[in-house]
Amino acid sequence: MGAIFSVEEFSTFDGPGIRMTVFMKGCPLRCMWCHNPEGQSFHSQYVRSQNGCLHCGACLAAGGGILTADSISVCPQNLIRLCGTEISPEAMIQEIEGKLWMLNASGGGVTFSGGEPLAQPDFLMSCLDMLEGKTHRAIQTSGFASKEIFAEALKRCEYVLYDLKLMDSELHKKYTGVDNRCILENYRTLATSGKPFITRIPLIPCVNDTLDNITQTAQFMSQLGVTKVELLPYNKAAGAKYKMLGREYITDFDPSVPPQSHTEVFEHYGIGVKIL
Amino acid sequence: MTERVQRMKRLLLDREYRKERSEEILDFSGDIDAQTDYGIFTAYMQKTLENEKPLFYGDDIFGFNRSYAHSAICEDNGQPCFPSHIPCNNTPDYSLLMKPGLDRVMTELRQKPKNDFYDALIKVLELTLAFCDRYRQAALESGNQKLYDALSNVPRNSPTSFYEACLFQKIIIFILRVTKHEHITYGRFDQYMYPYFKADLDRGVSQEELFETLELYFLSINLDTDTYIGMQAGDNGQSMVLGGFDAAGNSVFNELSRMCMEASLELEVIDPKINLRVSKRTPDEHYRLGAQLTKKGLGFPQYCNDDVVVPGLIKLGYAPEDAIDYTVAACWEFIIPGKGLEAPNVTAMNFPLVVREVIDRHLMDSPDFATLMKHVEQGIIDKIEFLRARYNSLEKLRQHRWYRCSPIMSLMTQGCMESGKDFARFGSHYYNLGCHGAGISTAADSLAAVKKMIYDDQSIDKTTLLTALKNNFEGFAPLRNQLLACPKMGSDDDYVDAIAGQIMDYFAKNLNGKPNNIGGIWRAGTGSAMEYVRFGKVTPATPDGRMNGEPLACSFSPTLQAKPKGPLSTIRSFTKFDLSNIINGGPLTMELHSNVFRNTDGEEKVASLVKLFVLSGGHQLQLNTLNRQQLLDAQEHPEKYPNLVVRVWGWSGYFRELDPEYQNHILQRTQFMV
Ligand code: SF4
Repeated sequence: MGAIFSVEEFSTFDGPGIRMTVFMKGCPLRCMWCHNPEGQSFHSQYVRSQNGCLHCGACLAAGGGILTADSISVCPQNLIRLCGTEISPEAMIQEIEGKLWMLNASGGGVTFSGGEPLAQPDFLMSCLDMLEGKTHRAIQTSGFASKEIFAEALKRCEYVLYDLKLMDSELHKKYTGVDNRCILENYRTLATSGKPFITRIPLIPCVNDTLDNITQTAQFMSQLGVTKVELLPYNKAAGAKYKMLGREYITDFDPSVPPQSHTEVFEHYGIGVKIL
Repeated sequence: MTERVQRMKRLLLDREYRKERSEEILDFSGDIDAQTDYGIFTAYMQKTLENEKPLFYGDDIFGFNRSYAHSAICEDNGQPCFPSHIPCNNTPDYSLLMKPGLDRVMTELRQKPKNDFYDALIKVLELTLAFCDRYRQAALESGNQKLYDALSNVPRNSPTSFYEACLFQKIIIFILRVTKHEHITYGRFDQYMYPYFKADLDRGVSQEELFETLELYFLSINLDTDTYIGMQAGDNGQSMVLGGFDAAGNSVFNELSRMCMEASLELEVIDPKINLRVSKRTPDEHYRLGAQLTKKGLGFPQYCNDDVVVPGLIKLGYAPEDAIDYTVAACWEFIIPGKGLEAPNVTAMNFPLVVREVIDRHLMDSPDFATLMKHVEQGIIDKIEFLRARYNSLEKLRQHRWYRCSPIMSLMTQGCMESGKDFARFGSHYYNLGCHGAGISTAADSLAAVKKMIYDDQSIDKTTLLTALKNNFEGFAPLRNQLLACPKMGSDDDYVDAIAGQIMDYFAKNLNGKPNNIGGIWRAGTGSAMEYVRFGKVTPATPDGRMNGEPLACSFSPTLQAKPKGPLSTIRSFTKFDLSNIINGGPLTMELHSNVFRNTDGEEKVASLVKLFVLSGGHQLQLNTLNRQQLLDAQEHPEKYPNLVVRVWGWSGYFRELDPEYQNHILQRTQFMV
């Protein structure tokens, strides 16, 4: 079984053509800027949207102080929902199957994203296997996985969207909670595998948009012969979903500062930049 | 855009020119002593034209803009004897006047026997020509040489250039407007205008010059948009259909079609509203052009699928050569230009109300869902008969202000000159009436919820549901939440989509082809016009979780209560039926966030989406790129937009689920065209 939190049908930024993107639930990283906080936990969570809330308290009363299935039922505004579904690979594929011809006709396919898809390797591999030969398969990953798992996933897809966040391992640990050694290692594997891929860098103001980090990243990429990168400038709205989860969005950087893209550095290293 | 076009666009958008018009409302009551329809028509036309003053705005080379913002009143004993909006929602055959020119038409008319009808036609032409002569003089005096020269030829004679052809049409539209015809559309502009366009090209007129003429023409037809009588500003019927296929299946999308798309793309103004005829054979490039236009957020092009529409019209009895010539009436109803007077929007069926009434009356005594559906069919049949009875004679249609005679429309309707009968008195071919089918999704979702909770799962009892509905769910929040969680159209769920199919089948089977007593038949459709709000207001709570008075979905679309899985599922949900059986018109409407278009990939993907809709057998599609207005409204009334998806950076969410500060943020980021 796999844990997912949403399936999108028209994700325009997750690979070529019209794609269905499966957002898998659970991630070993804890990026400070994470804009999909509901993708972090591997477990289902009750979420409450804020708009339209009457602050009547019925939801919490029904759940004895927390949100439960009963909260969904009693909310007069229908604002509570359960985020996260347990699903078998077979059921997952069944949901996609009817639309495969549409994806294929547009030159698109299926993207597994998250959360971190590599954190649920059994489910991921089964799904990818079942889609083999049927459509164009992609994964969107932080690269944080064992060498073996990464290699297995790589074999089973046609395209990879790979995040590079920070080159400095200390800073990486500070801002994402994990060491970047295996991420850089897997990136090397990817870059030399001959598999089509795209590198993506979320640009976070004063965290990884520094000249230092960008230069190191560009150097690292160019050494591996990588010639293109996509930058995703940090957006203030990244924290929007935290309240729904009853969490606070805390950053040690100033979210209102627009990030620098340093395109000239990439270009200096022969890397073409596309800003998303 | 040339400088001239830029100046003209600025003039249009700053709206200052409107001050030159008079706001006075003329009153002709008592001045018109005519008794017959034609007598009133020509007398009213004469008086109006006498009052109209030629107005030349800036670089406008077309003129024929209204000098009064409002139409004159004309009452008899407090009753309007020349009401507006009749006839409306129609497309004439402009070429019937344009090809020969008015002089030749006049000569022909003079050889006809003398009677009221031909007299009225002659009178209309005379008044038009006299007015044009006055206009021509004014053009000369105001130094508008180009217009003066052109008016020396048209509308007396056939146009000798594309510019003259456009001017000819502008004159006709002006005459139609001052005689209170509303929502008369441009139809297949790229087809009937093509000979003039092509002749110019062959004579060596440059593409650039033709493009400038076209852009100036498009701008000129926007000058009076605020004087139209519509449900909303912009609801003026100035729609245009481009492309299509001939009998052999070859595309007739030509250089002019492309130029119209490009002009629309560059001008970003509300008119003309572009409809694009497409099919399996449409090249990807046309879809891309369409997507670029969608990106502008103007709400067009709307797409019509020839693969479904043409066979559908043939099934309704249209001759194949007419069916392939279809165009759309002001909004979306499929009609044949210049071949009759069809009233495809004469009335509308409120499906959710029928369903609610059937549930109130028959839920208790329906032991199974099939029995309930039998009652639904009977409910639909009863409603059909009720609606038909309201309109099933010329007399009744006249009572409802339809089917007024019009000499000017008769001049542009095939067969009228020959038969000597008005286009509204059956001098032409097609006299069909259409009935919209509003709220199909609400009706299907409601029945699906009943099927699931009462019959399949038996999770609630009938009395509870009936009580909850009666109380508008007050005190029944948990039940309502359960109903909201039942299958809804838009998520590719056969459970509910099959019910929608049944409803449409009942509707089509019992209405299509039924005689209407004016020599035509009835047609069933999937549209709602403005009824989605009006019907919503009068329809009490429905078992899909909708509360008293909440609006229905616009036309053929998921309800506001549904959370569709996405555009692919929505397309699938709404194309599972043979839509050629229910072809009065009415589009699947989908909203795209403008973020979809953040880079050029977006255009490509939207183009693919439309193509998939066509390949899936959809009949008509309206794509909206969300605009600022709607987002602001969504902020104030989040409950109205539960499905509004916004894509911000790398993620998507429901707009209503975002905190206000983030909503504001999106509002600030999004670029919209007005
Ligand atoms: S029950 Fe609904 S409306 Fe009431 S406080 Fe909870 S979320 Fe808000």
